Amino acid sequence: MTTAPVIHLHELRKTYTIHKREAGTRAALRSVFHRETRDIHAVDGISFDLEQGEIVGFLGPNGAGKTTTLKMLSGLLYPTGGAVSVLGYEPFRRENAYLRQIALVMGQRNQLNWDIPAVDSYEVNRAIYEIPEAQFRATLDELIDLLDLADLITKPVRNLSLGERMRVEIAGVLLHRPKILFLDEPTIGLDVTAQRRIRDFIAEYNHRYNATVLLTSHYMADVEALCRRVIVIHHGQLLFDGALATLVERFSPHKTVIVDFAERVALSAEMDCYGSVVKRTPDQVVLSIPKAAVAATTSHLLADLPVSDLTIEDPSIEAVIEQVFNANN
Amino acid sequence: MRRYLTLFSTFLRLSVLGELEYRANFWVQILESILSLTVAVGGIIIVFDHTATLGDWSANQLLALVGVYIMIGGVITFAIDPSMQRFMQDVQKGTFDFVLTKPVDAQFMASTRQFQLWKLIDVVLGLAIIGWALWRMQAQITILQIVLAALLLGIGMVIVYSFWMILGTMAFWMIRVDNMFQIFNAMFVAGRWPVNIYPTGLRAVLTFVVPIAFAVTVPAEALIGRITPTTFALAFGVGIGLFVVARLFWRYGIRSYSGASA
Amino acid sequence: MSEWLAIYTAQTKRAFAVWLQYRAAAIIWMIGFIVQPLMYLVVWTTVAESSGGSVGGYTPSDFAAYYIVLMIVDQVTYTWVQHEFDYRVREGEFSRLLLLPIHPIHEDVADNISYKVLTLIVLVPAVILMMWFFNPTFNTTWQNAALFVPAVFISFWLRFFMGWVLGMLAFWTTRIAALIRMYSVIKLFFSGRLAPLTLLPPVLFAVARVLPFMWELAFPVELFLGRLSADEIWLGFGMQLLWTGIMFIAFRLMWRRAVRRYTAFGS
Repeated sequence: MTTAPVIHLHELRKTYTIHKREAGTRAALRSVFHRETRDIHAVDGISFDLEQGEIVGFLGPNGAGKTTTLKMLSGLLYPTGGAVSVLGYEPFRRENAYLRQIALVMGQRNQLNWDIPAVDSYEVNRAIYEIPEAQFRATLDELIDLLDLADLITKPVRNLSLGERMRVEIAGVLLHRPKILFLDEPTIGLDVTAQRRIRDFIAEYNHRYNATVLLTSHYMADVEALCRRVIVIHHGQLLFDGALATLVERFSPHKTVIVDFAERVALSAEMDCYGSVVKRTPDQVVLSIPKAAVAATTSHLLADLPVSDLTIEDPSIEAVIEQVFNANN
Repeated sequence: MRRYLTLFSTFLRLSVLGELEYRANFWVQILESILSLTVAVGGIIIVFDHTATLGDWSANQLLALVGVYIMIGGVITFAIDPSMQRFMQDVQKGTFDFVLTKPVDAQFMASTRQFQLWKLIDVVLGLAIIGWALWRMQAQITILQIVLAALLLGIGMVIVYSFWMILGTMAFWMIRVDNMFQIFNAMFVAGRWPVNIYPTGLRAVLTFVVPIAFAVTVPAEALIGRITPTTFALAFGVGIGLFVVARLFWRYGIRSYSGASA
Repeated sequence: MSEWLAIYTAQTKRAFAVWLQYRAAAIIWMIGFIVQPLMYLVVWTTVAESSGGSVGGYTPSDFAAYYIVLMIVDQVTYTWVQHEFDYRVREGEFSRLLLLPIHPIHEDVADNISYKVLTLIVLVPAVILMMWFFNPTFNTTWQNAALFVPAVFISFWLRFFMGWVLGMLAFWTTRIAALIRMYSVIKLFFSGRLAPLTLLPPVLFAVARVLPFMWELAFPVELFLGRLSADEIWLGFGMQLLWTGIMFIAFRLMWRRAVRRYTAFGS
């Protein structure tokens, strides 16, 4: 067992210089002679380490710098500053030995040929990665089995549904059994069933090959199901790195209390004294209560009102994340 | 090296498979090839109705040139243009990232990914016309001439490829590069006639700005045994030079794309 | 009448704005336009020079005049609607056009007019350069120049309706692109582009006279250059009007059927 991290980022930065362009002919003419530029700090000093076999959720709102970071990790972008090393390689050198061990999936972009069945496109990957025939067959069979692809890979890709297409895409990317997976929104636009399939598969692949996975997703269900650890970034900077449970604890000092009444309670009944009311109907009320006060408040509630049922929940992870970003704006 | 051959044949095979999905295109291409043959040969017939030579080319020699023209045009549309179009699309849509994450030379992959199978008909037609022209000339073709012509045809293709690669690489900075290919296509039709009939300024453009002279006229000159050592050396030099320039420019483009030189 | 003027002004302005967006593409189109006549001009000049200074009554200067005027007429009367129809039918663009309270052909006319304005940007310098470079000689009389204007005008409409008739075939076939290419090759031979028509073998010349193509291009060009007798001029106008009439009737008949077909099958 190695204890050295497989992915190591230290104070990683990426700055884009863009040309400012004001509206109007005058400004356009002026820009011919003198172009004003502005620096955008897409990634502004991020550090973290990933151990082999980890699945880590990489979260942040649009424009936070997630994709830029993933691109630097997969060798597509050259960092402006800081250090990055993956499996001991510097990704931006794009050495073949490195590229053979990684895979990048971007949910909104396809790489399979539209007109032909996926199984034919897989031949390209076999040639690119020089996968020996026997290993290729074995891996393919395994992927067919895990992703239930038997009927899909012989049809032209254009005839597949969105979810089916993502499954054959993912299979193509994994034929060379990469040790590191960069998944950028792999489930975007898919229906719930298709999302779950992809999610289950990622977990299984991670388990079987002890592969390291860095995943971005807007669907918290993905993150909750797959990632014990999450890294949250905002405006190019690290906000949080730790267990998902800790994130909820740290950023949400409130719990949600749902009270069902045995009989209809007049809507005018005073509830604000227990906590802030999130939602209210004649036979139910949802309250947000500070963690420290939960025990005392619930006993008050039970004593004061005709309560038939009472549940205490953590707020949804979406709500927590939203709160994190709002707090930092 | 072996890997690149395998990869090349895989891309070729996949393109063929893809195109077999649209079989009717075969007949459309047959029609198009017949049309371009009609234009080229019809033009020669009408012109040589009034003269015996055109800028010291006889009708049969010009027929050989037309053969080279159709063949090179076929090579461009069969092998060079489709990959370049795909590459430009990939850059625009962001799918070029997938090429860069593969452990293969990106320029190789960008220039071999797509082929338009039926355009091979033009290549075959061009070769047939060359054969027909040589037969009509009843020329004593020496082995040396054939070797030289084949060599210069190869160089011609390298020159055209490098030229397209240089234009294509600009896609890293500009959005509508395909417009420049349109300019090339518009000018390429001028290659149907030997460049030495054009006035000096235009000839310089067709030789050095858009390298039609080296792609079409020079190989045809070799075929009819009229090549000088100087022209040969020049073509060879331009071929190697342009290929190196294309390579360096591509690498500069990649560096700029990944923000290394910015 | 004034409402038509308003519609046309608005449409032309809109079309002009669109063309400005695609000016690079438009300029490239025009380069293609210049290369072809330039190429045949060079070829025929070479032939004339090697045949003792003239061929079939044309000296190099005559060829220069011929191809410069041909380039101008071709640009001014050019229409590309036939290329658009395939896209319009396939992408359902026709649904939009049919919803408009005026016939879609008016949009095309306006589009054409604005393109012609843009064309001048490339056409004028190209003509000046070629004038300077090839020393054309013109034997144009005032009468020729005066008759040239209506000839070009009729030619525009002839080509325009022919373009629509050809384009409307897209309602019945998906292979319209191949048909258009065939059409342009036929036109290359019989319109006077490849060579002035009197240089064609007699058989081809006879064929050219019964087809519409020489009347839309070679006729106005030769008329301007003073190469036609009075009889030939009247015959030319007669043929122009005849073909324009035929194309207009074909356009009306096909349009009705095309719309019926389009609304029946949808897209």
